[in-house]
Amino acid sequence: MLAAKLNRIYGYSGVIILLLLLIFPFTNDSRSMLILLTQVFIFGIFAMSYDLLLGYTGIVSFGHCLFFGIGAYSTGLVLNTFATSISMFFLGICLGFLLATVVSYIIGMLSLRLQSHFYAMLTLGFSELFLVIAEKWRSVTHGGDGFTFRAPAFLQDRLFVYFFALASMVMIFILLRLFTNSSIGKVLRAISQNEARVQALGFTVLHYKVIASIVAGIIASYSGALYAITLRFVDPSVFSIEMTLDALLMTMIGGVGTLIGPILGSGVVEFLQHYLSQLGSQFPIFERWTLFLGLLYIVVILGFPKGIVGMFQELSKRDVKESKNYRKSA
Amino acid sequence: MNAILNLLINGLSTGLLIFLLASGLTLIFGLMSVLNFAHGGFFVWGAFVWVWLFSATGNFFISVVGAIGIGMLIGFIFEKTLIRPVYGNHIRQLLVTLGGMLVLVELIRMIWGSNPIRAGLPVWLDGSIQLGGVVLIKYRLFVILVGLIIYGLIMLLLKKTKIGMIIRAGVDNREMVQALGINIKAVFSMVFILGAGIAALGGTLLAPYSGIIFADMGLQYAILAFIVVIIGGLGSVRGAALASIIVGLAGAFTAFYYPDLSLAVNMLLLIFVLLLRPKGLFGEKG
Amino acid sequence: MLKVDNLETYIEQFHILQGVTFEVRKGMITVLFGRNGAGKTTTLRTIMGYYPIANGTVRYNDEVLNNLPTHLIARKGIGYVPEDQGIFPSLTVGETLVLAQREKNKETEEKLTWMLELFPDLKKFWQKRSGLLSGGQKQMLAIARAFINSDGLLLIDEPSKGLSPLMVEKLMEAILQMKEKTTILLVEQNYFMASEIGDYFYIMDDGKIVHGGLMDELKEDAELSMKYLGVS
Repeated sequence: MLAAKLNRIYGYSGVIILLLLLIFPFTNDSRSMLILLTQVFIFGIFAMSYDLLLGYTGIVSFGHCLFFGIGAYSTGLVLNTFATSISMFFLGICLGFLLATVVSYIIGMLSLRLQSHFYAMLTLGFSELFLVIAEKWRSVTHGGDGFTFRAPAFLQDRLFVYFFALASMVMIFILLRLFTNSSIGKVLRAISQNEARVQALGFTVLHYKVIASIVAGIIASYSGALYAITLRFVDPSVFSIEMTLDALLMTMIGGVGTLIGPILGSGVVEFLQHYLSQLGSQFPIFERWTLFLGLLYIVVILGFPKGIVGMFQELSKRDVKESKNYRKSA
Repeated sequence: MNAILNLLINGLSTGLLIFLLASGLTLIFGLMSVLNFAHGGFFVWGAFVWVWLFSATGNFFISVVGAIGIGMLIGFIFEKTLIRPVYGNHIRQLLVTLGGMLVLVELIRMIWGSNPIRAGLPVWLDGSIQLGGVVLIKYRLFVILVGLIIYGLIMLLLKKTKIGMIIRAGVDNREMVQALGINIKAVFSMVFILGAGIAALGGTLLAPYSGIIFADMGLQYAILAFIVVIIGGLGSVRGAALASIIVGLAGAFTAFYYPDLSLAVNMLLLIFVLLLRPKGLFGEKG
Repeated sequence: MLKVDNLETYIEQFHILQGVTFEVRKGMITVLFGRNGAGKTTTLRTIMGYYPIANGTVRYNDEVLNNLPTHLIARKGIGYVPEDQGIFPSLTVGETLVLAQREKNKETEEKLTWMLELFPDLKKFWQKRSGLLSGGQKQMLAIARAFINSDGLLLIDEPSKGLSPLMVEKLMEAILQMKEKTTILLVEQNYFMASEIGDYFYIMDDGKIVHGGLMDELKEDAELSMKYLGVS
């Protein structure tokens, strides 16, 4: 009873926050806040794709930036090389999807039949490889300095990009919700709990894991494309380990295996980064905000393995138990 | 001829440096199935502490011992605070070691700054020697020597001592070692600290080798060490040694003949091994 | 000597042991029968501290072992031979047995000598890597290792599994001889083997002890042995 009520409260607050986000640009004309929120949405998408791996399938990736970077470079390069038009924008995104599918399929087939650290390793290795390619293959990628490109006119409008990112995030949230509740999603969750049993039941675990890896790769590449569009600039840092760490931090801090958690985590991490680096201009110790994020991350893993969302879930469960006890004693 | 000999020495010395990192990694994995992503952190700490001590004291050995000591101390704290609490949960261990790595690297940036630092070299190791018309760089020979000595010591420890027997038995079957009344967690702590010390030693050797050190180099070498550990077979020190030398030599020769391929060659080796023999060259575990 | 009282164990969410009660008497061979999945192995593993005890107690010489880590349980003097023998493939036979001694003293040296007399093969293959031994030799090694390491009680999980009848015969002979120096709790599916050497028996079914008593009684009770053990 109470749990249902609480769920409804969470649902309502979600809708209210969404409404607030929708009217926010019209009530506030802080440009930096608009950009920061757009960033939150984009990394929310990226982190959700990570959650699909870590939270729903039990796969650890240490090179998820690989797909983010593929999306960013595909979109940037297509728009830069060919015409600046909507169709080229979509072509870039599709190219990103295609590459992400191929790469995640290869990595998945190679490593997902083995213990979990092989996938972690191989993704990390591949992302380093792509980083080097992005730096060294100057004729195509413009090397370490990166390149700027022109976005189609409608994507140059900050307000439009804000809503576009918000809508994308909501859409992907809904799609992933449907996916994780589908029959495939249920198998994935079963795999994360007990892989051997799922295998024994006659499912080819490898195929399901590869599917999860491909879907996560495609979504990450989409977030990378959006990221490139907002900056209208791409450089090899999209392949850096910091990108993967961001996704990992957001997912863990927000709450692994919840989808809404990574979005929350994205908000927390982005705002923390923003404010800590502002503080850094006054107190030099805050320049090393990554250190604080790292410590926060460790505290979360050791102390609150389910993250913020998990903490709320625990709370509501405890409330339910207490109210039951209360009724019993009454 | 001269070039090829020098490439051989380059490859061997790089390979043995990687081995110093990989040996601890492979034993820690074999014993506890913990893939320690922070291992590169001990390595880079070793390098920075060495440079700091060496510039302060000017004494090579004091600096090396100090760096190893700090490495072991960090390993000790690390194992107690981060690895122990999530004992038995591989995914959380994997995740927490990555967080640890992040903190170790950031602490280096905080203490020594973000810019690369120049590393000196004691005079008696500087320069080169001539051997039958071939010019050999002294320090590289020194690295090879130290690497081989450490390999010999590790093998001696594993083969000839009781604790080594326990470690090998633990790699084979952890549960059964406990059933023999042996506290495997204590053995694991010991191996972890030892591994951290050897990694720190690797860092100290690397610092003069590369001439400059920077916070991010830990991850670069850690990736090489991971590749090596997988190629060699998780848990096998012999495999790690052989794979280190293969990776070192492959890197040296490709860097000379096809410089653009040098990182790719390691990935190709890794993919090749994963396809043909995922257990690695000497691996018992899959 | 060993008293297990109302033991309950969960593996993940599964309630495997649902109140297991039995006793192992000093100097005797006690056999735990039961079909696959009855919970025999889980019982041994719970005693050894591999699974947390959800309920009930394990007492050894009147000392409660609950929640001790495995290595301390072993140090109380309990030796364990797991179902898969749990040998160390990369150690030689000699290394394994020296490791089992834990401390080198007169007592453990005597135990080692006796085991090498009982299983001459182990002496012969002293230098051989354990991974290269035959199935029967591995079983001998596992039993010898547990005996040398222990002091009073051996838990042996299905020693006859996968071995030839001749080898089973040999092992039984050895276990019977070991009875003079140690108490034994034997898990077995092989009724004919175990009924020959056992003094007491218990039958497990669905995580509970359903019968127990003197082995001789079981041999005479055709109905009981038919019902639970499928022998007539």
